[in-house]
Amino acid sequence: MKGNELKVKGLKGISQIAITLVVGMALIGMASLANAGGKVYKIGLSLAITGPTSDAGNPYAKGVEDYFRFVNDTKLLGDDKIECTIKDDQYQTDVTKRNFEDFLDQGIVFYLNYSTGSTLALKKDFDEVEIPVLPASFHAGNVEDSKYIFLPIASYSEQTILLAEYIVKNNKGAKPKVAMFIHPSAFGRGPVSDLEKAVAAGLGIEIIEVVEHGKDLDNTAMLQRLMSKGVQYVLCQTIQSPVATMLKDAARLGLTAKIFGEAGKITFLGAHYTGGNDLIDLAGAGAENFFWTTSYTITSEPGAGTDAQLSLAKKYGRDDKAANSHNYANGVMVAQVATEVIRRAKEKGVEITKKALYDELNAMNGDKAYQPPTTVGPVTYSATDRAGVDSLQIYSVQQGKFKKIGEPITSEFIKKIK
Amino acid sequence: MSANRWLATGNFFTTYQEEQRTFITNLDRLIFSIFLLILFTWPIFFPLNRTYMLVINNILVAVIAVLGLNLVTGFAGLISIGHAAFMGIGAYTVASCSRVLGDSHILITHFWPILILAGGAAGAITGAIVGLPSLRLKHLYLAIATLSFQMIFEWAIKFLTFFNQGQTISVGRVMWFTGEIGREKHYVFWYYVTIILIVVLGFGIRNLFKTRYGRALVAVRDNDRAADAMGMHPGFTKVYAFALSGFLAGVAGAVHAFLYKGAGIESFTLHHSITYLAMAIVGGLGTLNGSFWGPAAIQMLNLQVEKFSEYAGNYLPSAMNLATALRPFTFGLVIVLFLMFEPRGIANWWRITKSYTKTWPFRY
Repeated sequence: MKGNELKVKGLKGISQIAITLVVGMALIGMASLANAGGKVYKIGLSLAITGPTSDAGNPYAKGVEDYFRFVNDTKLLGDDKIECTIKDDQYQTDVTKRNFEDFLDQGIVFYLNYSTGSTLALKKDFDEVEIPVLPASFHAGNVEDSKYIFLPIASYSEQTILLAEYIVKNNKGAKPKVAMFIHPSAFGRGPVSDLEKAVAAGLGIEIIEVVEHGKDLDNTAMLQRLMSKGVQYVLCQTIQSPVATMLKDAARLGLTAKIFGEAGKITFLGAHYTGGNDLIDLAGAGAENFFWTTSYTITSEPGAGTDAQLSLAKKYGRDDKAANSHNYANGVMVAQVATEVIRRAKEKGVEITKKALYDELNAMNGDKAYQPPTTVGPVTYSATDRAGVDSLQIYSVQQGKFKKIGEPITSEFIKKIK
Repeated sequence: MSANRWLATGNFFTTYQEEQRTFITNLDRLIFSIFLLILFTWPIFFPLNRTYMLVINNILVAVIAVLGLNLVTGFAGLISIGHAAFMGIGAYTVASCSRVLGDSHILITHFWPILILAGGAAGAITGAIVGLPSLRLKHLYLAIATLSFQMIFEWAIKFLTFFNQGQTISVGRVMWFTGEIGREKHYVFWYYVTIILIVVLGFGIRNLFKTRYGRALVAVRDNDRAADAMGMHPGFTKVYAFALSGFLAGVAGAVHAFLYKGAGIESFTLHHSITYLAMAIVGGLGTLNGSFWGPAAIQMLNLQVEKFSEYAGNYLPSAMNLATALRPFTFGLVIVLFLMFEPRGIANWWRITKSYTKTWPFRY
């Protein structure tokens, strides 16, 4: 009997060990299956969700977030996923620096930055860690002496010069007198010297005055001064709110041109961050006949790109304001470029590293140019070309909506002054 | 003085020298030595990532700046709303050298301690000049004079092309005996530099108050006419308080420039001046240890509010931009609450804790 009991006990012991082993193996197997779900590529975005310029930063962040969610949800990269950490820097360079260090600690392979100030300040850090960077700032100075910064679209300088070229082509009469209305920072000042160079190279305008705006709530004196100097065109390189204040004042004083270049009146034009639906919201009827350029498609001119933008925003429950914002499109576009370089590197079978993505960006030209649906032209980069979309579309406000004027064009004088 | 040099209960001194001792008992000295040892060794045993080291370095730079602000506002009673501008003078002294000589010039890479002192000296000279109105002005009027200095400084930096119109002027990496301080060691290196500066400057200020020059600051704050009658020179005392404060701010600014590898106007605005004032108030005006508590408390609060407003920014309606308002609202609230319920700042909590342990286990 005792022998049988021992046998039974022994069998029980063996079966318990066997069950434990089987369960253990199954757990290990499940864990390895979970790991086999794909790789995770880390990307960081630091921008102003709160604080100055957060009216642009907020929809931009939503655009980036939504597109990467879309990539993961629809398995655009197969089982691999993109993990993008978005951090608020309140438009402060010191905070951006801290966020960037945090992202590096997390092991990012691609970085999305925001402001001109922080992009210029961190330029050497980007070079040191050799990470490809797409900023939301299109300041031409960003790419000077830098290997790793890529502008998503044509620089502010290129936008301003293109608007000046448009003035020359459409102005009737003598050499047009132009004033510049700029932000008191590198962001605003950047295009001034480039436009002066273009004028020196033969661009037929006369720059009468460069106004660095403050936080004025009334621009009557400035507008009257410009009128007294015979200024016909004001080129704006700043953000929407000071432009809106100026446009409202000009409308109140009856100084706004009803048609482009109307004699005795002023025609207002502006680069990317001056325009968009927010300008119309802020300036109301004063925004009428404001001329604006950007490389993005906008929802008041429906097409395949804007349909995709609106459906993406709808899919992730964004309100109308964000969904229709050109800064939302801006955010979607940089996320698309980052995804595309990862996809291309994956397709080649190379490991996704900072260097691999940097190489892919540099190879994005010729028949390898990338056409995101949110822009009016293809994204091209090379070792010497650091501006993504070179084409610019001119829009103007007609009956409360931005409408296309002609087809996308590129600047001629930017090539001459480079 | 107590017969036992290791423990002492209550306050009993037989000479003024005994009362002026930095460490009353040997136990105090031992505890402080252990504290210093921990400060110097923890990064070796518990290395933090670069982000947290940057946060800690930020606090330490603010400690140097607030030590200076506490001298002029806390001890000498002269309100300064331009402290960030004094810091900026130090930072731009380093940045100017970088701009003129190149950011990797030997002066920056090898002689950086001299540049830090030069930053302090520039801050001291500017402080003395800005302090001149204190010969005629008092209280709020003097505060406005320092505010105007802040405005002039910001304007000058933003509009002069030499200062890159406020955009960051790059400062190169420095060298040590082991070679160039690269990315990996950058923040740890500047942690040690800042800690050494704080210890030296902290002892310097502690000893200053054992001298007639230090006591003159407090005397002029409490009653400048009485101080004058006692043979002190109130005018000179006020100007030198500003100069001393400017020196400390200049040193802090120079370290900031090296830490961030550049100087830009964004780090030295009126907002920063008010933040340093808030640090001094929350830490405890007119106390040495308040200069340590204040920056730590405000910077930690700042981080938490930052996280909260970032989180709130995703959910609050973007059109109203309520998340942006959370930070100034929280800061304002903290300062008002401290002024209402603990005007002596966190330093007072430290004093209460110390006096409790001094008499423990007895109640009195």
